[in-house]
Amino acid sequence: MYEVKILTGNETAAYAAMNSKVRVVAAYPITPATPVVETLSRLVEDGKMQAKFIRVESEHSAMAACIGASAAGSRAFTATSSHGLAYMHEMLHWATNARTPIVMAVANRAIGPGWNIWADLGDALSQRDTGWIQFYCSSNQEIYDTIAMAYRLAEDRKVLLPAMVCYDGFVLSHTSMPVELTKFDDFLSEYEPVWQLDAEDPFTHGNILPPEEFAELRHSIQKSHDRALKLMKKIEEEFYELYGRRTPLILDEYKTEDAEKVIVTMGAIGSEAKVAVDSLREKKIKAGLVRLKSFRPFPEKELKNLLEDKKIFVFDRAISPGSGGPLYNELKSALAFTPVKRITPRIVGVGGIDVTKRTFERALFERKIWIKEVIS
Amino acid sequence: MLISVRFHGRGGQGAVTASKLLAEAASLEGYYGQSMPFFGAERRGAPVVSFTRISDEPIYEMSQVYHPNIVVVLDPLILKAVDIFRGVKEGGTIVVNTTKAPDEFVFDQDYLNIVSVDATGVAIKNDLLVAGLPVVNTPMLGALLRADIPLKIEVLEGIVRKKFGKEGKRNVKAIKEAYELASIKLVHGSGKRSYPRKKKIKVEFPISTPAEGVAGKTKLWRDFRPEIDYEKCNDCLNCWIHCPESAIRLNEHVEIDYDYCKGCLVCTTVCPKKAIASEREVFVDV
Repeated sequence: MYEVKILTGNETAAYAAMNSKVRVVAAYPITPATPVVETLSRLVEDGKMQAKFIRVESEHSAMAACIGASAAGSRAFTATSSHGLAYMHEMLHWATNARTPIVMAVANRAIGPGWNIWADLGDALSQRDTGWIQFYCSSNQEIYDTIAMAYRLAEDRKVLLPAMVCYDGFVLSHTSMPVELTKFDDFLSEYEPVWQLDAEDPFTHGNILPPEEFAELRHSIQKSHDRALKLMKKIEEEFYELYGRRTPLILDEYKTEDAEKVIVTMGAIGSEAKVAVDSLREKKIKAGLVRLKSFRPFPEKELKNLLEDKKIFVFDRAISPGSGGPLYNELKSALAFTPVKRITPRIVGVGGIDVTKRTFERALFERKIWIKEVIS
Repeated sequence: MLISVRFHGRGGQGAVTASKLLAEAASLEGYYGQSMPFFGAERRGAPVVSFTRISDEPIYEMSQVYHPNIVVVLDPLILKAVDIFRGVKEGGTIVVNTTKAPDEFVFDQDYLNIVSVDATGVAIKNDLLVAGLPVVNTPMLGALLRADIPLKIEVLEGIVRKKFGKEGKRNVKAIKEAYELASIKLVHGSGKRSYPRKKKIKVEFPISTPAEGVAGKTKLWRDFRPEIDYEKCNDCLNCWIHCPESAIRLNEHVEIDYDYCKGCLVCTTVCPKKAIASEREVFVDV
């Protein structure tokens, strides 16, 4: 057993970076991710974390510095949220094509105007096409484990992609709960880059790439995503054997086997949904839950296997205007040509509306797509 | 077993810290503790709320607490600004920092346990002051142990000692004193529950116009009260220009609107004639 501390999601992310042997942190503060940056700078300053902390003037520069650090052979980490993530957008694409396995904590928050600091997955979901691996967590322990697991995955020779570890702003970022501070020594060694910039042996990185070669690069990135899914299962198993914790990377299912109505969702509300499933079962309603953890790569096959004969309710804490819930749309396309009975969209928790177990219970029986109130 | 606690306080009083300390104490006792502060656009003095859940099983709830067993009220002024009894379960417990007696409180539930304690007095006596203001979170945790909560006072004291370092001793003494001083009483309420109607909201554009009092009467945020000495004032309007809340009105002379002044004392600082003095705010009738 390792030390168990009562920590916020943000503190957890910082400790996870420290114990994942991160050697370069470049970050810029933004609510609600600021305490990650504060905690990391304190850990570095106190000499508890052997890393270089680079102060930058913006999120765009934070990601640029992480790309540089990673290309030079260091394990790099940053954290951001909302407008900060949006400001990084160009560099997110860059990190993918550069094949720099950076891991970033994202405390999910709405993007304004109107000015809103609260939970909403729209910031990260609107980055889904940047090529980053995306995980959505539902507890602080999961944030902690996932950051180390994300490095293992991202740095694998078969993957070499950056990864976001996302968690609902305030709901997880500022809520304290017990976290076992596992040391990852058996699981994650110092970063061993496949290639790295070297002043003694100079080469150009990110130079012009003609059409055919660019297409090859993009195709290889897609193939890396496919391989990442397979590797996730192996990493989950290895992690479980070492530490005895089932921390899912692909998805988490709860009472789905005999379920008729299955809730599908992501993030912290996926934890609340567990309580809702128990409560529905007490009322003799055969409910189940699939909490998707990996949104990119999207685990089409795994979802198909679990859901193809169920009535599905998809709860999105985000909206893609002009289309609908991002998770709903992805799932609908994944389940095309299967005998799935029904797939129903629900938009909940947008802009930080608190999502309670009763929100789920009621949403299963009401016809409204949007739930714009707290159902206490 | 699931115990849920809601803390009410004002920014700077340590409600969020108290909520976390309680979760830590529960964790040391072998329970699962969760502490969830609610954040808005907080500033010193503004009403804040934080929640703690304690259970013998892992907690999966990630929503706020709407039906607490226990409510802790760090500041008697909050009683004017928010409904501290909202959603409290029948037979629940309200732990309130007040000089009032338990049966002076009026509420809609059939009956509640009221624990009253003069935590401000305990804090001042033990010199628990930050920027001249009493910090009542640790004595309030002491009083909280009067409620039905399976925590030993020694565990709480241990955590507080660790958290506050040099100031640990004084905080531990305050916990003990508040626990001794607190009185608990079963009080009957009206039993007539009312459910406020929800307002209809319609927003198409993120547009707002200045409006008086959208955050309520923010005088409750005030810890210090500025007073203009009109003998010294030369009507230079410096305070009127600098007041961040537009709470200085321009009539014949400058006048402070005490309904909205938050007591930031920018006016005191910018007055070239030193005509604006400040005093500790004392609200009567609360």
